Amino acid sequence: MKLLLLAAVCFVLGSCTAQDDPVFDVRSSRLLEVVSAENEVSPYVIAAKVRTGRDLAGACLLLDSLTRDRAMGGMFYAYSLIGAYLFTRDALPDSLHAKVRLAFRDRTMYRGDTENHWVMYYTGLYLAAQTWPGEGRDTWFNGKSSEENFQEAAEWLGHWMTTSATIGQGEFDSPTYITTFLTPMIVLHEFAEDPVMKKRAGMMLDLLFADFAAEHLEGNYGGGHSRDYPEDIINPLGAPSTMWAWLYFGKPEFEQWEEARFRPRNRGGWETAFGALGSYRLPPMIRSIATDRSEPYVHTETKRVRNVIRLGTEKNPPVYKYTYVTSDYILGSLHGGILQPIQQHTWDVTFASGRPNNTIFTLHPYASGKELAMFFPEEIKFLADEVDRYHLVYTSPDKWNSSSPYERTFQHRNTLIVLYNIKEGEMHPHIDGFFPKNLDERMESAGWILCRAGKVYVALHPVRRGQWIEETVNWRWRSHQLKNGVIVEVGSEREDGSWEAFRTSLATTRLDTSAFNTTLSLSYRNRQGVDLRFSFDGTRMVNGKEIHLTDYGFFEGPFLQSERGSGRITMRYKGRSRTLDFNTTEIME
Amino acid sequence: MVIRSVIIAGLLTCLMVSLYGQTDEPTVYVSVFSTKLFVVGAANPQTGMFFQKPSEDTVWHHTGAKNIRANALAVFPGVNGRIRYTASGNGLHRTRDGGRSWKITTGWRITEIWAVALDRTDSMNVFIGTAYGIYKSTDMGDTWKQVFTGFVSCVIVDRFDPSILYAATEIGLYKSTDRGETWKRTGLSIDRTRTVTQHPKDPLTLLAGTENHGIYASSNGGKTWEKREAGIDHATFYTIAYDPRDPSIVYAGGYATGVYRSTDGGTSWKRTCQGFEIEHIHSIAVDPVHPNRVYAGTMGAGVYRSDDKGETWRAVGLPGAQVGRIVIER
Repeated sequence: MKLLLLAAVCFVLGSCTAQDDPVFDVRSSRLLEVVSAENEVSPYVIAAKVRTGRDLAGACLLLDSLTRDRAMGGMFYAYSLIGAYLFTRDALPDSLHAKVRLAFRDRTMYRGDTENHWVMYYTGLYLAAQTWPGEGRDTWFNGKSSEENFQEAAEWLGHWMTTSATIGQGEFDSPTYITTFLTPMIVLHEFAEDPVMKKRAGMMLDLLFADFAAEHLEGNYGGGHSRDYPEDIINPLGAPSTMWAWLYFGKPEFEQWEEARFRPRNRGGWETAFGALGSYRLPPMIRSIATDRSEPYVHTETKRVRNVIRLGTEKNPPVYKYTYVTSDYILGSLHGGILQPIQQHTWDVTFASGRPNNTIFTLHPYASGKELAMFFPEEIKFLADEVDRYHLVYTSPDKWNSSSPYERTFQHRNTLIVLYNIKEGEMHPHIDGFFPKNLDERMESAGWILCRAGKVYVALHPVRRGQWIEETVNWRWRSHQLKNGVIVEVGSEREDGSWEAFRTSLATTRLDTSAFNTTLSLSYRNRQGVDLRFSFDGTRMVNGKEIHLTDYGFFEGPFLQSERGSGRITMRYKGRSRTLDFNTTEIME
Repeated sequence: MVIRSVIIAGLLTCLMVSLYGQTDEPTVYVSVFSTKLFVVGAANPQTGMFFQKPSEDTVWHHTGAKNIRANALAVFPGVNGRIRYTASGNGLHRTRDGGRSWKITTGWRITEIWAVALDRTDSMNVFIGTAYGIYKSTDMGDTWKQVFTGFVSCVIVDRFDPSILYAATEIGLYKSTDRGETWKRTGLSIDRTRTVTQHPKDPLTLLAGTENHGIYASSNGGKTWEKREAGIDHATFYTIAYDPRDPSIVYAGGYATGVYRSTDGGTSWKRTCQGFEIEHIHSIAVDPVHPNRVYAGTMGAGVYRSDDKGETWRAVGLPGAQVGRIVIER
């Protein structure tokens, strides 16, 4: 029976497959088989039930429920409701057509206040206005006509795509929030009737996936992240991005929802079902970029800070990203400071592993109304409490996500230096380090904290001492020194040979902290004999040569290249290239 | 017979009082930004614009869009509430038919609106203060022009001369003398200003509330300012309201302040917080018909009302609400 259903699903999907993609076809079938058996009031479940033919009556009941609760509304609802409707409308009874239409009159589709909110809102509005053209102002929740809504949504989506392709996303590289960009773009690509919008949505999907692919390892989204939930930070394979990697990159091998250790926070987060139903197919080159780890490489990016609305001098300052990718681990970092509010993840090393909590990092848990006021317009004195209400941990001293003005990084390949300069009187005057309990080894020697996770070796040398606190899945290393720093060296069996050899190589390093107390700067010779010098004021030097972060490209690495502001992103793999030109809406192969 | 006459007379009196009261009674409008239960994108308790007649006491009626995080509102005077605006993160919502239909008059270029001000001499002129600046419309919001850049908390139009406007911003208190086309910083040296209020009878007298720096007063249209400190133990003020009938009485509220009342036009102040569950006050309005009656909007405990000129307060509904603004119109 199960095989028959799978075969039926494959047949349905086969009819809309844009190009052959055996990995995608098998996995999308499997996904739809699972999702269509769920019974929650979810637009993804509804679409899966109808499109697989598994339970039309049940799907109609769920869709009816989805249109009933008039208190619900907002951007999440706007795009997912119209998405579910467009994926299923040919099979729906007239009564449900009318109810879905009325939802866009009677409910307030709130636009929200973040980049992902607006992408979801305007995608929903665009497709709804396209679906019901020529209708008057009194038939829409916002008092605008179909044409006014369509034009406004098209304008903003065009603006967002151009911004993302020239100066980058504000909510960039987020294992948590990537799903809120990919899913609307899949729906837009599937149903936009304007061929230009459809193509640009497809190009955005290429860009989002390529951006992810360059920092992907076995289902993990490596490197620094603009925004991430703490649960996903300490358990990278539990993030929503893993579901997308599973479906489109063919990694990891396991099914995330079946694995308690990696299960997403929200089992009902079945957004990938829209991907499984859609006709978008990942260009094979992007999957190669995501999975070919035959050579280690350095990948840099320039992103942007989300809109700074007060207490700043520049609306969208640049964010500089450095990532070192190998077949066993990814070490990546943002350059430090307040780059995103609330959920920033500045640096980590994430290793390929069959175990959960496969990451190590440090942070300063900063929280202040002032930080939030830079980005949110609400009353400064209430912002921290307000944010705590739905992000729960913002003011916690133990939180695992933070953007701190007292943190700076400098990375050179598999060596990272992190400096901390915490102001006296701060809410949380300490730094924390996350070390999973399931490491194969964790020891201390000659000032180094030495960790082994399978074939990956990680060594951290704090400038000043800390203490260990045992927690459920991890050890927390905490230092109350306001001025501190951490040297991080990462290696692997492939790079260094044995664990012992890696530890021995640390003896060749030289750390000079003689200027640390006065200028918060240090010099370090790494295991490869490279001299690094780093000051909290921003001076970064490699072998005496100053590094200018402004030299980073929009994308710069073996797989992705782009000049900031150009609107052209080139992917390369084994002598082939694919260029997305957002200026002309062209793809050059 | 006598008894029957007395009863009939009594009933008639009640009816007349009731009728008189209804026609005389103003309408209280409040904008609710959020409630304690708010979560982005979820099924939330209603926010937006609410209204009531004071005789309805704790009963409020919702109007317009739900779940819009309404920061401010404005009601064009003298037309029975027919023309109203709600300022929200979603844009500026407008009704021209007393709330039967609403339209968001702004598009994607305008967001995070924190203030709306009307020219009481010409209903076509509307000004909004946003996180990105001030925008001006001369067609009731159908089209907009940006006239100021910066984070704006409050905009007011001079009650006597509509070519003059004031704006409290993150970069100082600003004044325009050409209907909002250009702006110059006033003499107030404090950057982070939160509110500005004009004396109901003297156009040159202004009071300004600041973030962390208390209350300042000007008697020359903003050229020079003096700090008002007598009796004040708090620093951040979001709202200042004159009694329109007796401007020697002024109320002020802000972060953890309860309500401050002055009986000498804002020179000295006395604090009252009797009855408040939460002492964060974001908006105050004085009933123009019954000046003993004052409303205070809190940050998280709904609306409070005093019937004794601010001596004592009691909750009158919208529990849990963060109330951005209160406007009372006849």
